[in-house]
Amino acid sequence: MFGLDYSWLADSAYQQWLLMGVLNTLKLAAISSIAAMLIGMLGALGLTLRLFWLDALIELFVEVFRNTPPLLQMLFAYFTLSTLGLKVTDPSTGLSVPLLSAFACASIALSLFGGALAIEAFRSGIDTMPRSIIEAARSLGYGRWARFWRIEAPIAARICLPSLTNILTNLFKTTSQASVITVPELMYYAGQIYNDTFRTLEVMLLVLVIYVALVSILTFAMARLEAFMAFPGYGKGH
Amino acid sequence: MTKIKKIGTCIVAIAAFAGSTSMASAGTLEDVKARGKLVVGVKNDYAPYGMLNDKGQIVGFEVSLAKYVAKELLGSEDKIELVPVVAANRIEFLTAGRIDAIFATLGVTEDRKKVIDFTTEYVSAAGPSVLMAKDATISKWEELKGKPVCGIQGSYYNKKMTEEFGINLVAFKTQPEAYRALKDNRCIGFVFDDMTLQQKIKEADWTGYKVAVAPYEFLPMAGGLRKGDAEFQVAVDAAITKAEAEGKLIEWEAEFGMPHSQYIADRAKAAAAKKN
Repeated sequence: MFGLDYSWLADSAYQQWLLMGVLNTLKLAAISSIAAMLIGMLGALGLTLRLFWLDALIELFVEVFRNTPPLLQMLFAYFTLSTLGLKVTDPSTGLSVPLLSAFACASIALSLFGGALAIEAFRSGIDTMPRSIIEAARSLGYGRWARFWRIEAPIAARICLPSLTNILTNLFKTTSQASVITVPELMYYAGQIYNDTFRTLEVMLLVLVIYVALVSILTFAMARLEAFMAFPGYGKGH
Repeated sequence: MTKIKKIGTCIVAIAAFAGSTSMASAGTLEDVKARGKLVVGVKNDYAPYGMLNDKGQIVGFEVSLAKYVAKELLGSEDKIELVPVVAANRIEFLTAGRIDAIFATLGVTEDRKKVIDFTTEYVSAAGPSVLMAKDATISKWEELKGKPVCGIQGSYYNKKMTEEFGINLVAFKTQPEAYRALKDNRCIGFVFDDMTLQQKIKEADWTGYKVAVAPYEFLPMAGGLRKGDAEFQVAVDAAITKAEAEGKLIEWEAEFGMPHSQYIADRAKAAAAKKN
């Protein structure tokens, strides 16, 4: 078809590389997505406490990790942290080796980057809460915590779902940058395969299709969640 | 359904576009002459073949050769544009038409012959060897099985390393990263072209290291040209052979501190004999 040559796919080594690449991509995306959402929730929750020192800390965290490229964060975690002394002694060889593996560095960097974005997303959900709802809750006698858990958090979660979908899809695609610090994910193996076979277009097309498929599953699930959680009469609840 | 159709059309369009750019291959010699400049892909991080000097200029054995070719084609060795390439993108750059020729440590392999044409071979380069700490006891490829070894993404021998030797290859984009990782003990060795590693252990920072595992093969190196461009190939080959006959490659070998190679000397003699 279109003069494309996919004969290299018959090579069992390449099949295995692609499979391992997809698995590592999924693993990295899953870990960093879950961690990012946890960080986002904790951060947004912290902001509701209105403690000036906590606000400043969270703001600093958001600014640092949102405003730096995730690629730089990964390189920093991989090369710089061990130079700064984050090392352990390997009992089998007696050598001093970096504490964090490439995979750990990539997971941490992506979690923090995604977490910073998620804090902002959750915060925007809480901030855009109509005052009238809070006042109505107050007049019904809800205390501060009950109001947060039973009224503000459920509404905020619904409001910020679309931007959360954006963050998670972006995070998924950013996992491809982990190849730079040798995490053997999909792009890492794809690059090696087209270097071996020179079927650049074919490999790129296949990888493109795989990413579209995987991210589509994610966006589909998020869209279903959005529909499931929709307020009657609003947005997808129309 | 329409959404799927749209995506389908998009993919066809991308494929058609990529197809059309790679087809424009013949007639490089006219293009180069019309442009008045030869665009060459070279290494800039790979002593002695192509590296940066103190002034930040790209110099090296293959850079000198590329300049000589430019002089033969266009009358001046300054009528050249040096484009830094890496192993992972040099063939793409060539086939996509971004450069006219590759002079960037390109080994002659059967797989590559399917995609590009090679100029006459001018160096016999040792294949990969492994740089390890001086007290390492490993000396054979087989002994590296299951061990983490640093490498470079896109190297032609990476599949052999993982499939045949069972090495746990940790492949980086660039050499500095791999060297850093080796020093950090992220891997027990660094598998790379022997020539570079032999130069590396002469550096003050690397006295604690040795080339522990010797190359398993020697590979001729040549320039890379787009496929089926006979006119350009004849012109470039003639320039390289002329440089060999004039003993230029032996001069550059000495200039860039390469160990004396019988292969280059023999080729120079053969080229000179052919000329007379």
